[in-house]
Amino acid sequence: MAVLNIKNLFIEYLTKSGTVKAVEDVSFDVEENESLGIVGESGCGKSTLGTAILRLLPQNATITGKILLNGVNLLELNNESMRKIRGKDIAMIFQDPMTSLNPIMRVRDHFFELFKVHNPDMKKNEMIKIASEALESVGVDPKRLDNYPFEFSGGMRQRVMIALSIALKPKVLIADEPTTALDVVVQEQIMQVLKNLMRTKNMSIILITHDMGIVAEMAERVAVMYAGNLVELGEIHELYNNPLHPYTRMLLESIPNIKLDDMDLKFIPGSPPDLKNPPKGCKYYPRCPFAKDICKEKDPKTRKIGNRIVKCWLYGDEDE
Amino acid sequence: MKTYILTRIGLSIPMILIILTIVFFVLRVLPGNPVLAMLGPKAPPSVVKAMEHQMGLDKPILVQYVDYLKDIAHGNFGQSTVTGMPVLKELMQKFPATLELTIFAMIVAVFIGIFYGTLAAYKLGSPLDVSARIYSIFVYSFPVFWFGLMLQLIFGVWLHWLPVSGESSPFMTPDPTHTGLYVVDAIINGQWDVLKDSLEHLILPSLTLGIVTSSIFVRMVRANVVLTLSQQFITAARARGVKEKTVLFRHALKNALPPILTIMGLQFALLLGGAVLTEVTFSWPGIGSYLVSRIHARDFTAIQGTIVFFAIFVAIISILVDVINAWINPRVRY
Repeated sequence: MAVLNIKNLFIEYLTKSGTVKAVEDVSFDVEENESLGIVGESGCGKSTLGTAILRLLPQNATITGKILLNGVNLLELNNESMRKIRGKDIAMIFQDPMTSLNPIMRVRDHFFELFKVHNPDMKKNEMIKIASEALESVGVDPKRLDNYPFEFSGGMRQRVMIALSIALKPKVLIADEPTTALDVVVQEQIMQVLKNLMRTKNMSIILITHDMGIVAEMAERVAVMYAGNLVELGEIHELYNNPLHPYTRMLLESIPNIKLDDMDLKFIPGSPPDLKNPPKGCKYYPRCPFAKDICKEKDPKTRKIGNRIVKCWLYGDEDE
Repeated sequence: MKTYILTRIGLSIPMILIILTIVFFVLRVLPGNPVLAMLGPKAPPSVVKAMEHQMGLDKPILVQYVDYLKDIAHGNFGQSTVTGMPVLKELMQKFPATLELTIFAMIVAVFIGIFYGTLAAYKLGSPLDVSARIYSIFVYSFPVFWFGLMLQLIFGVWLHWLPVSGESSPFMTPDPTHTGLYVVDAIINGQWDVLKDSLEHLILPSLTLGIVTSSIFVRMVRANVVLTLSQQFITAARARGVKEKTVLFRHALKNALPPILTIMGLQFALLLGGAVLTEVTFSWPGIGSYLVSRIHARDFTAIQGTIVFFAIFVAIISILVDVINAWINPRVRY
């Protein structure tokens, strides 16, 4: 059963120089206990999408569509009801662990604040107990509750952030580039922590990243985004072995493979379109080696092929 | 924490010594002879000589310097060349009035600064924010005495709501005195009519000084809170469901406080010495008026004493600010 349904989501930023269409007509479901990866280049709208689920976008953003959490449309909730969902039903961890904890608050007080916000009657020993359990589950010594954030390394801070976000057992955890700011060894440790949590806790994870390797390691399904559009979605092995969309194919080809003699790095020529003034037809058309006439004229429809979703004119004609 | 405070105190001793020395020599180098200022330009040279000898001004300057340091080490700032009274005693008579005015002005300024500045930062770009920016530029450019006069005119002369000058009405001083601060003494003595009278006299001068000072605070607070509000831990706190009020004050403002407190501390010290214009405008019998009159009389010891007194006060306040900062920010403490 799906815990989260995103339906026809549009997100625009109003800026002085024009309207940026950051997310356009994106729909997908997040099943219970699944890990869904969202991948794409910088600026493709994946972080905007993640932040929009918690309704934490800046003031100049407008959202239309539906975000359903167990059938309740989050976009229709008032601010107070939405606030109560954050941290309790849906939690989020961020890219830069160095700056995501309040530097002048002890780790303990971060936990206490979270608990007090969602359950004002919670007793102190109970709070310490839950906080200690959460820290233990991510491999941090509960004694360190009394420490300040600056007494932790980057990797340890990210563990603390994860412990904070799972302490109240949310149904959905949004991880926005959780390892991007960390070195590879620590990156691997954090991935292990997240994997363990997935096995032991009853929770869905939305993993937002530009790193195809991390997605392959963590996610059961992957959504590929390009220029604010969801271009392909499918089960991880199917998608890796048989990418349908030309963008997915080139994205996978651009992963360097050290075993091959051919050491030249492959890349996708060109750059993503200007989202203030995107091309008329398919957004990927200017960079696509398979582009047809229709791609230039009309935006492709999103099609279901088996249990996969793809948005490309290569799969089906206009009238289908 | 204890070592931190002790180090801070230790560090301020050389600072005060340097100020002592500079003040001493600058006064000696500047034109103007205290004896001539006292006796008038037509005094016979023999009398001038005798007077100089009596005041120790004919000794070599280094000997005078050592005498001066000795006086301060003994805790008295020497005797006024004009009145012959110990300078410290005179200062202690005048200081409470200034301190009272400054404290109330700071309360006004900090209150306006913190709330207006924080809300403006929160509602960045809104009419409230624009009004805060206009307020701070506009008020900053007010000359203090002009603003004081306007308040006197409106609330004193036209509306007759408040007294326009002095620290109290006749026969309305607290008795007995404890601290010299009228408001505090009146409360201790339970003299409520005196308290009311003192507060009425305080309102206009402290509003004048407070509002003018608040312009700097509004700008400082706004700029610093804007900066902290853009940080990741603010979004992270919101993502945990923390209430907006808590996000704004506990997370954003508290992290923005260290630079703000430093400026406020300096401003407090500046007000103590710089309340001169306000004191003169409102005939406030404080240290500012005292210093002005003693400068006219070339009263070396009184000027030195006043400046040293301020220097020590500035040092104490900056230590206090540092201690508060260390208390807020663990990275300073550890």
